[in-house]
Amino acid sequence: MNSITNLTDDALIAFDALGDVARNLVSPSLRFGVTGLSRAGKTVFITALVHNLIHGGRLPLFSAQASGRLARAYLQPQPDDDVPRFQYEDHLKALLEDRIWPESTRAISELRLTIEYESASAWNRTFGRGRISLDIVDYPGEWLLDLPLLGKSYEEWSKEALTLSNLSNRAPLAEKWHQKLKAIDPAGVEDETAARELASLFTDYLRNCREDSTALSTLPPGRFLMPGDLEGSPALTFAPLDMPEDATAAAGSLHAMMARRYESYKSIVVKPFFREHFARIDRQIVLVDVLQALNVGKDAVIDLENALADILTCFRPGRASWLTSLFSARTDRILFAAAKADHLHHENHDRLERLLSHMVDKAVTKAKFAGAKVDVLAMAAIRATGEAELREGIENLPVIVGTPIKGESIDDETFDGKTETAIFPGDLPENPAKLLARGSKLQSDLNFVRFRPPKLDKTAEGLTLSLPHIRLDRALEFLLGDQLQ
Amino acid sequence: MTKTPRKPRVIRLDQSGDNKPDSHGPDEPVRQRKPRAQKDLAKLALIPDEAAQASAQSGSDNIADALTPPPPDPSRKRFSFVNVLLVALAGLVSLGFGLTIDQLVRELFERNTWLGWAAALLTLAVVLAAIGIIVREFLGLRRMKQIEAMREKASELVKASDMRAAGRLVDQLMTIYQSRPDTARGRTKMESHHGEIIDGPDLIRLAECDLVSPLDKKARRLVLNAAKRVSVVTAISPRAIVDIAYVGLENIRLVRQLAELYGGRPGTLGMVRLARNVIAHLAVTGSIAIGDGIIQQLVGHGLAARLSSRLGEGVVNGLLTARVGISAIDLCRPLPFMAEKRPGISDFISDIVSISGGKEREDS
Repeated sequence: MNSITNLTDDALIAFDALGDVARNLVSPSLRFGVTGLSRAGKTVFITALVHNLIHGGRLPLFSAQASGRLARAYLQPQPDDDVPRFQYEDHLKALLEDRIWPESTRAISELRLTIEYESASAWNRTFGRGRISLDIVDYPGEWLLDLPLLGKSYEEWSKEALTLSNLSNRAPLAEKWHQKLKAIDPAGVEDETAARELASLFTDYLRNCREDSTALSTLPPGRFLMPGDLEGSPALTFAPLDMPEDATAAAGSLHAMMARRYESYKSIVVKPFFREHFARIDRQIVLVDVLQALNVGKDAVIDLENALADILTCFRPGRASWLTSLFSARTDRILFAAAKADHLHHENHDRLERLLSHMVDKAVTKAKFAGAKVDVLAMAAIRATGEAELREGIENLPVIVGTPIKGESIDDETFDGKTETAIFPGDLPENPAKLLARGSKLQSDLNFVRFRPPKLDKTAEGLTLSLPHIRLDRALEFLLGDQLQ
Repeated sequence: MTKTPRKPRVIRLDQSGDNKPDSHGPDEPVRQRKPRAQKDLAKLALIPDEAAQASAQSGSDNIADALTPPPPDPSRKRFSFVNVLLVALAGLVSLGFGLTIDQLVRELFERNTWLGWAAALLTLAVVLAAIGIIVREFLGLRRMKQIEAMREKASELVKASDMRAAGRLVDQLMTIYQSRPDTARGRTKMESHHGEIIDGPDLIRLAECDLVSPLDKKARRLVLNAAKRVSVVTAISPRAIVDIAYVGLENIRLVRQLAELYGGRPGTLGMVRLARNVIAHLAVTGSIAIGDGIIQQLVGHGLAARLSSRLGEGVVNGLLTARVGISAIDLCRPLPFMAEKRPGISDFISDIVSISGGKEREDS
């Protein structure tokens, strides 16, 4: 794979970085990257983070908060005027009052959270500002899948997409598209109708892959699923073609047209996103919904692993120093978080962490080598369940108690979304390597049910208590703790 | 460890409200359990997290490389004639003592009945008092051992991720500090963590910060004050024997105060044991402490000694007291130093020297 950036990009990134450094002199800020495939819980994480910081939630392991050094945190107008604001209030209302999870993110949005704190060191108290701004960016997880495309040519991508679609778990979903593909000659004359048809069939195939029953993750290009205002434009009207190994795109051929559009997709859609939002991140949290993939089976887990591996190649980890930060932002702390840990009893959290570490092993090694600090955590930004034990003779079955979302089912039982229920979702495998090893038996004794957001008690004054969470404070301590020293 | 995978399942919660939190026996290690269906809802017991944590089985109790090396125990396994001699002698002496008392009471009864009764009552009082002393010593020793065990356990748990064992340890700590008003704030904080999912090592660090570190501040003050007093008394005492006695007394008092501060209740025997441990610990950590403060020690001593040998001795004795104090803190603290910084000799040196310095100026 080629490098995902070229000289021009690097120059632009350096320019941005210089601008950031200049701006940081006036008001120190930290770009906080919340990364995750769609449905990994990015929006919920951001909402929970902001709510807990603003309302002084229970964060015993977040040292700045625990020792009372956080004076206050508040929202401020964000620095980028061309990006919509993250609708924190709406998301919070949905969570607290309607008890539903926020809708999946359709477009990019940004939020600036300013934290005023008392530094623990005398030097910083005297000379520091005691204030830091967090710029948090939320974006559709699908877009992330585009980043690996930056390093691939059209031909490479075509080949990969075709190989993928021929896998046993995908082939039935791609049947229509495959039929159409057979009828088309890549070297033929360029034809807008054929291109449109191919693109729409390809999009259908991607959409099918994403359904709950398949839960596949490697689905580039992401904008096909989440087109926004580019819908129908040529940059989004292309599809992989079945070409011979060493085919060259003759001028005027369908192949050439598709390749051109693929390139413009990269330059119009992917590059700006990478440069403006991804390349400038100081602290990164990668949310991974392992449980959803486990629900479906081994194929989905392996697919998720591949998708993650692709995305993680786009990271720019490294130790940030004042000199290097002049020219390029480096992510110096990366946290991999297995989201939705509340869907499991805590005695299985260790296994969840192990599974995730196994999946992101390569990226972790690379980031550590580059000098970044890396941690892996099982986390729930908002904890929707409680824990209990079911006593049966001498055995105790650890269960979780919560209100499953309407329509979820387990053990032939479908839920109505109102009743509180105790669930035992199964034990995670002890050895992650075994689960992911090719050829091993599909682990089917797992069934994770999605729960509604928790019902929060209100105090006598009508204030909502802080949002419950699992290890959000540890995540914050790792990501922000050193900045608030 | 059995390997039966458990199947996902669902349990309706209709009548779980009246179920009481349940505690259960030793917890087996997490394993894979067989899938089953369970429709009888009454069997479901909602368990608050602390109960679950409290019901876990403890891990192994000893690790070789605990943070604080356990003081070397004198070899006691070997058979020793001296011990037999001592035990037999003690037995004979107590028998003789009993006989004497018995005779005394009998004689008193012969002489006068009420005198006899009075003597019998006094004997009873002696026996009761002896039992009281023994019980108290025993409890004190047990508490000391409990604290020691907690410290070892904590340094072991902080490396493992055993949420339940950590929860149990913290509960134990809370029980020890239950009757201490100065830990009320920390206890409230710790209680609010019940039901939250916090990893074992994190929970122990939290307990250290919230429960133990307020006591650390007091301990530091105790040590500092003792060190100051010792250095002043040494500097002004007219005879060597006076300051030797004073240093000894002050150190014993300091160790006792520290033990009480951290929740121990050392009786006489406990004190002897503790003092022995402190000295042994000093020997083990002595080299570290010297390395820590050697420059300051030399400078302090050198400067002071040049002005007056008495002042120099004051500084040295003050430092000795501080070191005994640090060593005693290590031994009395129910948790090892993990989240907090272990006090070093350098934390005390400037204060001790400054007192001497102040005196110096007055002298000259």
